[in-house]
Amino acid sequence: MSIQLDDPMASSATTWLDRPDAAPRVPALLTERRGGAAERFVAWRARHALRAQRARDFYAGSRNPERGLPVAANRSVIDFLSRLMATRRRVFVGLVVANIAAAVAGLVVPRLLGDLVNRAASGVSRGDLAGSLNAIALAVGGVVLVQTVLTFAARWMSAVFGQDLLAEAREYIVRTVLRLPLSRVEQASSGDLVTRVTRDVSTMSGAVRWALPQLVIASTLTVLTLAAMIFNAWLLAIPSLLSLVVLFFSVRHYLASAPMGYITEGGTYSTINSTLTETVEGARTLESLGLQELRLAQTEGDIAVSAQAERYTMSLRNLMFLVMDFAYNGPLVLILLLGGWGYAKGWVSLGQITAATIYTQQLVEPMDRLVQTLDRLQVGMASTTRLLGIADVPADRTEGDARPHGTDVVGRDLRFAYREGHDVLHGVDLVLRPGERLAIVGPSGSGKSTLSRLISGINRPRTGLVSVGGVDVMDLPLDLLRTEVALVTQEHHVFVGSIRDNIVLARENTATDDEVRQALAAVDALDWVQRLPAGLDTLIGSGNQALTPAQAQQVALARLVIADPHTLVLDEATSLIDPRTARHLEGAMATLLTGRTVVAIAHRLHTAHDADRIAVVVDGRIAELGSHDELMVRDGEYAALWRAWTS
Amino acid sequence: MFPPSVGAFRSRTRSSAILTGDPDTRTPTRFLLWLLRDQSRILAINAGVGLLWFLPGTVGPFFMGKAIDRGILQHDMGATLTWAALLFAAITVGVFAGIGMHTAAVSGWLVALYKTMLLVARKVAQMGHVLPRRTPTGEILSVASSDSDTFGALTEVVARAVAAACAFLVVAAIVVSASPLLGLVTLVAAPLLVGAASPLLRPLQRAQAVERTRSSELTGRATDIVAGLRILRGIGGERTFGDNYAAQSRRTREAGVRAGVWQAGVDAVGTLLSGLLLVVLTWLGTREMLAGRLSLGQLVSFFGYAVFMVWPIQTIFELAQKWIQALVAAGKTLAVLGQQPPWSSVEHPEPLPADAEIVDEASGFRARPGELTVIVSAVPDESAAIADRLGRYLATAVEPMSSDVGDELSGRAARRVRQERARRRAERARADEALAARPWGVTIGGIDVSRFDLSELRSRVLVSDTSSLVFAGTLQRLLDPHGRRTRAQAEQAIRVANAEDVYDALPGGWQGVLDERGRGLSGGQRQRLVLARAVLSDPEVLVLVEPTSAVDAHTEVRIAERLAAHRRGRTTIVTTVSPLVLHHADTVVLIRDGVAVARGRHHDLLASNDDYRAVVARGMDPVPPPGHRLDATSRRPDGDDEPVPLDEPLLVAPYGPVPMADRVRDDHWEVSE
Repeated sequence: MSIQLDDPMASSATTWLDRPDAAPRVPALLTERRGGAAERFVAWRARHALRAQRARDFYAGSRNPERGLPVAANRSVIDFLSRLMATRRRVFVGLVVANIAAAVAGLVVPRLLGDLVNRAASGVSRGDLAGSLNAIALAVGGVVLVQTVLTFAARWMSAVFGQDLLAEAREYIVRTVLRLPLSRVEQASSGDLVTRVTRDVSTMSGAVRWALPQLVIASTLTVLTLAAMIFNAWLLAIPSLLSLVVLFFSVRHYLASAPMGYITEGGTYSTINSTLTETVEGARTLESLGLQELRLAQTEGDIAVSAQAERYTMSLRNLMFLVMDFAYNGPLVLILLLGGWGYAKGWVSLGQITAATIYTQQLVEPMDRLVQTLDRLQVGMASTTRLLGIADVPADRTEGDARPHGTDVVGRDLRFAYREGHDVLHGVDLVLRPGERLAIVGPSGSGKSTLSRLISGINRPRTGLVSVGGVDVMDLPLDLLRTEVALVTQEHHVFVGSIRDNIVLARENTATDDEVRQALAAVDALDWVQRLPAGLDTLIGSGNQALTPAQAQQVALARLVIADPHTLVLDEATSLIDPRTARHLEGAMATLLTGRTVVAIAHRLHTAHDADRIAVVVDGRIAELGSHDELMVRDGEYAALWRAWTS
Repeated sequence: MFPPSVGAFRSRTRSSAILTGDPDTRTPTRFLLWLLRDQSRILAINAGVGLLWFLPGTVGPFFMGKAIDRGILQHDMGATLTWAALLFAAITVGVFAGIGMHTAAVSGWLVALYKTMLLVARKVAQMGHVLPRRTPTGEILSVASSDSDTFGALTEVVARAVAAACAFLVVAAIVVSASPLLGLVTLVAAPLLVGAASPLLRPLQRAQAVERTRSSELTGRATDIVAGLRILRGIGGERTFGDNYAAQSRRTREAGVRAGVWQAGVDAVGTLLSGLLLVVLTWLGTREMLAGRLSLGQLVSFFGYAVFMVWPIQTIFELAQKWIQALVAAGKTLAVLGQQPPWSSVEHPEPLPADAEIVDEASGFRARPGELTVIVSAVPDESAAIADRLGRYLATAVEPMSSDVGDELSGRAARRVRQERARRRAERARADEALAARPWGVTIGGIDVSRFDLSELRSRVLVSDTSSLVFAGTLQRLLDPHGRRTRAQAEQAIRVANAEDVYDALPGGWQGVLDERGRGLSGGQRQRLVLARAVLSDPEVLVLVEPTSAVDAHTEVRIAERLAAHRRGRTTIVTTVSPLVLHHADTVVLIRDGVAVARGRHHDLLASNDDYRAVVARGMDPVPPPGHRLDATSRRPDGDDEPVPLDEPLLVAPYGPVPMADRVRDDHWEVSE
């Protein structure tokens, strides 16, 4: 065993707390309630300010994830959107025109009603009026019918437009995910990526599918209604114009602080959910360690924090409703006053007043929708920046034209650091002999997994290079590299798709059904596949035909048979081996490995024992290299370990 | 107000009485009523302010009509001002009532939401390992994350509907007294307006359901791609699965457009009907006006009422809809909250003897006090089952009963399936209770463990199995959750588990923060932290299931050595087949087909027992090729690794496939007014 020179736990004394969790999770200021109305108002303002600060802090933290994927700039969302729009200009124009037409038809109605009222009030003779009443009513009825048809057309086109835009956007996102650099895939938090392709896509959907068309509808209606009001009587349009200005400033203020509030709020629910998920999945761990009360206290704390975030957004909404409700209903009062004054002066007619009151009430709905739409669009924008950020990951390889000659794999002077200044490997040289089996053993943290990632071309070494047939692996195009060297992990994910889809991976463009069958036969899986109802076309993966763990492993092996690389790197990360499946797969494994160079990271010594050569990696260097017998003679670290195993 | 405090499910044993604070879990309806009754004060406030909030709608048009008739038409500026001021007053009251109502609605919503979450958490704490045997963890979590929100929405709409019903009556009185004919038209037309769209609503809902299903399948595909991204980028298949996604995306788009067409139809019908209502009102109103039965102001106020009356009716329809949704959610909730612990309280518990022999009668396994005993079996499940029995745990490897019947079934068929599942769940509960009531078959010092107090047993016999979880939080809190140990003891535990490198890799030392479920650590690192925590909790009897399965041989040597030294003199039971650990055992027990068949020291058994040698010493036999460990079972933690910032996809490992619903949790809950 190597002796650790510097104590890894040196910081223990300084970081251990004798009284952990002393600070409350919610500051006392936020929960106290006392005093009279004035005092409470002052206290509320202080609380609101503190909550706003907490929201800003959380938001700032969420924008700079320590090791998440990048986030794109707002500008790129607009570019992205205009790119998508450019190909659908005709639909978009049609959509706008249909909406304008529907809105105009709707605006004619109050105007006609106002005419009617005018005639009734201006003492036209009864008989005339009765006659024109029927005519006007019929005319209005006709307009309503036209409006109905136009509304239908406009909404239909909105749906087509929104769905189409959304489909293209999400397909684009998934294509960028599928282009992520290999080193990034192996390293980045998949939780972040899952969140992006699920929650962010769903938020973006809401914005694209619902909010964008609604924005068109609501803003057309708002603008045209205002225009109709001005056309009807400019004096009576002033109140609504005023309220729109007030609304503008209030909404701007709200939109400036609301997203942080909602993101914080969403974050608190994520926390509640992760704690609860752990509680449920660790139900037995809680029980065995007696942690029930502690976990409950943690959930109560999570909820207390969440309640504060909710109070903040609630106050924000309350403040906006205060302005909004006045802005919606207030103009009616002003119209009455202005109307009374104008009517007395002879500037406006009763019909104009009637039409104005109807218009004012008609304006509430589109204005309200506009506010909601802006809210959704803003949230959608934030999600889209996160989605487009996936495309900002820089490429990790430079595809060259050189093609490998031969199958020899050589690593020279390999150094690698995950953190700058902390090399995990210190100049490793390794020459693989074609067809040999090399086992790598070594303690945790010694660098053996890193070495395997460099050999398989996942990461670029800080210095030195790994070459295959004389070409740097980092210069090989990915689809070529896959047929040269493959890293085999313990993952055997079964994709949703047919059995064929699950196997052709490495040669999806060229593999024939016969080759797929041969690969299945090579791993002893052809029998059960042929017994399946649809054979190679049988759908497997989550929600479809279930596979046993052994069958899933056979599928994983068949993929490698199809890929047919000359060198396999097995990160033989230990597993609780179920001997039944292990024995079942031995034949299949043997077929796969025959005739290939194999590098295996061995956790169990019998694996090492059976290899042609064994490399003992200690502290980022190859300390011993040789066959089992050679290393036993050398009587070093490996020999000591072997004796501990067999004694 | 929120957050509420919840004190339900305190007892860890079975009881038939509903204790204070416990929800009524007899039927879904009773549960919903309990939930509403529980916050009756907030609901009353909410409905009261709600009535005021409707004020501009109820009396506003009336004031406007008066202002026109008495003021504008008469050229009476004073009367115009008076009525306009009244209108303004009504609007002002409405605005502030709106704020009050929004506050009350949010409070009610959050009380229901948080309360459901807390109830779920408390139920899990009460039931422990028994609950996931009966209900899948995904469904337990969806009660907390999604059904809770449905209950919140219900409390909000209940209060609003009460206020709406009152507002409807007020307006009805006003319009009928102003003009019986027009009043009747308004009263009849409003429900018609809402109801007329309902023939279209059914196909709309069907189309939306199809869209939802396809869209969630689509999300499933995206998650699937991300989960297998290492394979797709490592081995290939980007085009195949990219195309599969695109095909599903197009199917989803088609479904979305179909739903959009129905929605357009609903919108168009709404436009048609409200437009026609306006026409009819005007036509009738003008005739009434000509006949001298109606004033101009009254006519204008009718326009206002015609618009307003749609709201109360819609609210009442919404209540009906949300109540049905809430009933479904309550059914799922009761599958969790309605469960009872199988254990009954022990009348006169025996004191747990210290330093006594432990015997498992079913297998004949015995562990002598103060010794390190290792259980060896060719089938890991067998030794794990013995460990479970020793700690009085019900078998965990059973499939829980799902209440989720999927989208294919609906109506009566779905109900039948749900009832059948509920029946089977109840059956299992009864079986658990029967098992818990009988003598357990494990004795400590000759006394059956069912004679001990369960929490006493748990605190003194610790079984750390392979499912043990690393919780998020600081390292110090993970290892010493109760805050009972000293730094020296904690350092010692880290050394015993050879987890110094985990400590070193974590920025911030003891205060370094671990992600949920130890994400970001390798399987070996997680396993060593679990071991350190078990060692630090320092129980009298420590049972470790495969504690070193995910670590390399170098590390295993150290752990075995240090663990044996650290636990010397205290009863320790380990299941493993690794010679590196067996080497240190005081006694080794070989299990075959669930029965102890041999017992002795490692060396002696190795020399004398062929079976034993076959299980333990595979390394010395002609060996399978190096890659045979490619396999993995669903119980497997991942491999050990250096402390790289490598974040493993928890989707695929180590707990088996996680259902989509667990991954996709919508946490942007907005409370609408």
